[in-house]
Amino acid sequence: MNITRFTSKGFLIPGLISLVILIALVTLPFYGSLYNVIMVTSILMYIILTVSWVLFSGPTGYMSLATAAFFGIGIYASAIFLPNTGAILPLLVVVVIGGLVSSLVALGVGALTLRLRGIYFAIFTFGLVVLILELGNWWEHTVTHTRGRFVMLVDNDVIFYIMLAIFVLLMLTTYLIRRSKFGLAMRSIGENEEAAAHIGVNVTMVKVITFAISAFFMGAAGVIWATKLTYVDPYVAFNPLFSFMPVLMAIFGGMGQIYGPVIGAVIFAYLQEKLQTEFPYYYMLIFGFVLVAAILYLPDGLIGLIQKLWRLIRRWRKGGAAKQDANT
Amino acid sequence: MWKKIRKYIIPLSICLILISTAVAGCAEEEPAPAPAPAPSPAPEPEPEPAPAPEPEPEPEPAGPTKNSIVIGASRPLSGPNAPIGDAAFGPIMQMWQERVNAEGGIYVEEYGKKLPVEYIIYDDATDVGTMVRLTEKLILEDEVDILFSACGTAFISAQAPVANKYGMVLLTAEGGATIMRDALYGLPYVFISLPFSDHYQLPVFAEMAAAKGAKTAYIITIADLHGVEYGGVAAIEFPKYGIEVIANKSVPITYTDFSLLVKDAKAADPDLFCVFAYPPIIMPVTGEMMAIGFNPPAVLMGPGANFGFYGISFGGDPMTINGVTCFAAANEKTSPEFAQLYADLEALVGWPNLDWWGHPYYAPLVQIWQEAIEVTGTLDQDVLRDYIASNQFDTILGNTYFEMFGEFGGGLMVKDTHPGEIGQWQDGTVEIVGGGDWPGVVLTSDWVYPKPDWPTP
Amino acid sequence: MPESIVTIMDVAIGGLLLGGIYALIAMGLSLQYGVARVLNISHGEFIMLGAFSTFTLYTVVGINPLICLAIVGPIAFIIGFLLQRTLFTQLRTSAPNPGAFEASSLLATFGLMYVIQGIALQIWGADYRAYTYLNFGVDLGGAIFSANKLVILGFAIGIGVAFYIFLARTHMGKGIRSAAQDPTTASLMGVNINRVLALCFGFGAAMAGLAGVLYSMRIPLNPAMGLQYTLIAIIIIVLGGLGSIPGAFIGGLILGIIGEIVTYIDPSLSLAAYYFIFMLLLLVRPKGIFGK
Repeated sequence: MNITRFTSKGFLIPGLISLVILIALVTLPFYGSLYNVIMVTSILMYIILTVSWVLFSGPTGYMSLATAAFFGIGIYASAIFLPNTGAILPLLVVVVIGGLVSSLVALGVGALTLRLRGIYFAIFTFGLVVLILELGNWWEHTVTHTRGRFVMLVDNDVIFYIMLAIFVLLMLTTYLIRRSKFGLAMRSIGENEEAAAHIGVNVTMVKVITFAISAFFMGAAGVIWATKLTYVDPYVAFNPLFSFMPVLMAIFGGMGQIYGPVIGAVIFAYLQEKLQTEFPYYYMLIFGFVLVAAILYLPDGLIGLIQKLWRLIRRWRKGGAAKQDANT
Repeated sequence: MWKKIRKYIIPLSICLILISTAVAGCAEEEPAPAPAPAPSPAPEPEPEPAPAPEPEPEPEPAGPTKNSIVIGASRPLSGPNAPIGDAAFGPIMQMWQERVNAEGGIYVEEYGKKLPVEYIIYDDATDVGTMVRLTEKLILEDEVDILFSACGTAFISAQAPVANKYGMVLLTAEGGATIMRDALYGLPYVFISLPFSDHYQLPVFAEMAAAKGAKTAYIITIADLHGVEYGGVAAIEFPKYGIEVIANKSVPITYTDFSLLVKDAKAADPDLFCVFAYPPIIMPVTGEMMAIGFNPPAVLMGPGANFGFYGISFGGDPMTINGVTCFAAANEKTSPEFAQLYADLEALVGWPNLDWWGHPYYAPLVQIWQEAIEVTGTLDQDVLRDYIASNQFDTILGNTYFEMFGEFGGGLMVKDTHPGEIGQWQDGTVEIVGGGDWPGVVLTSDWVYPKPDWPTP
Repeated sequence: MPESIVTIMDVAIGGLLLGGIYALIAMGLSLQYGVARVLNISHGEFIMLGAFSTFTLYTVVGINPLICLAIVGPIAFIIGFLLQRTLFTQLRTSAPNPGAFEASSLLATFGLMYVIQGIALQIWGADYRAYTYLNFGVDLGGAIFSANKLVILGFAIGIGVAFYIFLARTHMGKGIRSAAQDPTTASLMGVNINRVLALCFGFGAAMAGLAGVLYSMRIPLNPAMGLQYTLIAIIIIVLGGLGSIPGAFIGGLILGIIGEIVTYIDPSLSLAAYYFIFMLLLLVRPKGIFGK
């Protein structure tokens, strides 16, 4: 990598902004209210799901709907290893276990679905969610005879910091992958898989490994999320909504830039919460209209709007400078 | 032409539909909490990606100068649980608020005056994660004085530990399960009201059926963990009374065609046919039974057959389902108080939303709250918790109290409070036909066994 | 009739009924996704709307549900037609490439799902609604079936076949088929692509509405009921092969029959088996049964 790239202006401003946001987040429990921490935790959860979904599906163009499966595996890992009767393993270990189990499943699914493309892949992965849900349900009531599991309570700040740590790790991973040859290989798969294979990209390896990496973060987030849910049964854990949410949030934000999905997830989650609390009786109606209107008037997602604004500001500044020149 | 239409018709239709539905919503006498929302074409974009939400304006500053008792609830106003929430605890909440506020409020000694009741109701869209977060918002940010129950067994199972953690008393409404009872030892702030499988619905039913000479039972349960609980408890209780369970089948929640199952049951010719599932299943099963003429001596359906809407789902006339047995506690004949309750509820939400299992247990919840606040003169949760845990209340159910689980545990409404466990549709309404062997049980009719034939079309 | 034949008839008729409804829904979605490239998440909401309209027309106005077919179908068609002509055409013309259009239309239909459910909640409330129509047994050589089931079966298959003939024989149908195969060539050959896509979307919505009218005779209704049918329809069009309308029709019937057989063997695992078979099929034939 070229050293000058890091010192160039193009890196400096986003780097500074990220640093400021990171510091603001790390110190949040000291200045924000407890509910702010909880709200940000749940927004972080959505960001993690969305960004890790984009990590795989963005560049490769394979739309995965398995998010709920990986997330649910994490939730179930939590329910098994962190019951309310006392933790069997330390929290952080369970986070890693949840992530690893999700990755393993992703490796298997990835290897199985090599031949599937486009919507076929999407629906296969969605089938995976329902299959795991039904099998889990069957397993719980015929084999283990549980009727739901309680997860132990964890301090809100601890949950927040672990979620934040997963988020930071994920952003770093995404950033590094995008900058590396690996990311290039992924994009080439998205553009033309045959051509990518032809120029020497190990298509299978790249796809499966990225899929597993993205599943790791989903699973890890699930483990932490379960300690917020406190009660887990298969229908709670494998909620198919979590398969669609990341996709929608990513489209809402715009997938071109690394921060697009983040903004999408933040606004989406924040908007939902606002509507559910301010207009509870009209929540669905207003939320639906906002989605339709947003996609109509912001075809490139929110980042499209931001880029447009940015360009406008730049032009305005330039124009202003030119005017000043003319005046003097 | 289409281009022009596109340009104008989309924003126009958006505005039109928003306005018309808002008007329709208000016209339907909903407790519209907010004026018609302004149609916003796009979400206010926040340019900076910082996910830190700004602090919101406090809705109701709490303090020594208190103007109302703020009650918070996260309810399923949309999504699959909405029909249940709408018919079960929802009407009780609404009716109580209207009555209390008409009297000028509840007298709270602490503040030296009567305080009206004010609700903050959020829509959890039938999602457990959302419900937990909204519950925490109610407790932490809105600082509600009292927390009301979420809707559904999975939902109250998740809400109970959260409420308990923040020291908020939670009297649960729609839901109850053996697993929650087991967890009560660690949940001192939680009180469970609704009867469930082995507390004492199925033991009572098994004894009733055995007394009539029933020998075999065919059971269908919904394939979630709580449907399976009923199947499991039945498999324990029925054999105690010499009733053999000849089949115990579970069906997925999304299943819609029940002909094969009903025919299989018909071929097995059981004395008891039990369907432990929710309305989307029990309603088509009932229809199919009518169509193919499967009429076993006893049919137990629930949860769901205890609502008025079940009665009018088969041609609009509740006489069509005479003989169906359901879970029920009381009806208008149980006592004059219940006659009043059901008359009021019917005036408020209509006959289809009456619930003869749940309403008798949800109505006392608000009475318990009111008495606890009036007697202790405070809204302090610890004082209220201790008062509720250690006192007996005179409610619509008569003498009502909770059995406490351990020294540091929560409470379960004792069985002696239950006026009945089992009901049956007779003459177009639910009669209470089965209860335990404790005093206070009020049966309003005899159990008709074998049940009458389905009406001929 | 011997017991075993009655059982086979039971499974077959039950399967065909479920399959007939699935086939209608899936054909509708196949038109919308296969031709118009809109993966319509709000497809099930048209089923819900059709069902609720029938409920109101039947219980309040007293109009026979079978006549409702003739009322709901055209209305759903008009709604679908207008949606495509306005909303989705706007999205399509502003999208830089087909992939971007698929993404934006997915989000738009998700929004539509919320809007339609929200409207239904305002109009009908959240409660369960149901009515009965033709709910009596018909004896077919020893096996008893409820009459409404046979009526639904007949209409579902009748509508499906009629629509297929329409596609195969009429000028308009040929336009739709050529657009399904290759939109660019079709528009080169003088097919008004905007009109054809709007027709497709309209027919898709009408199919969903008709399925809703028919199935409302047998299931309780509430505003949140649509999504499960959308998911089934997506699976079927994938199973049948994208853009293949006979594939969607036959795929629907097959899925219905598989479901009924699995239910006959063990209902508790029927959904799991369903998805397992579906995923297995997809692995063996990655482009669907009828995919090319």
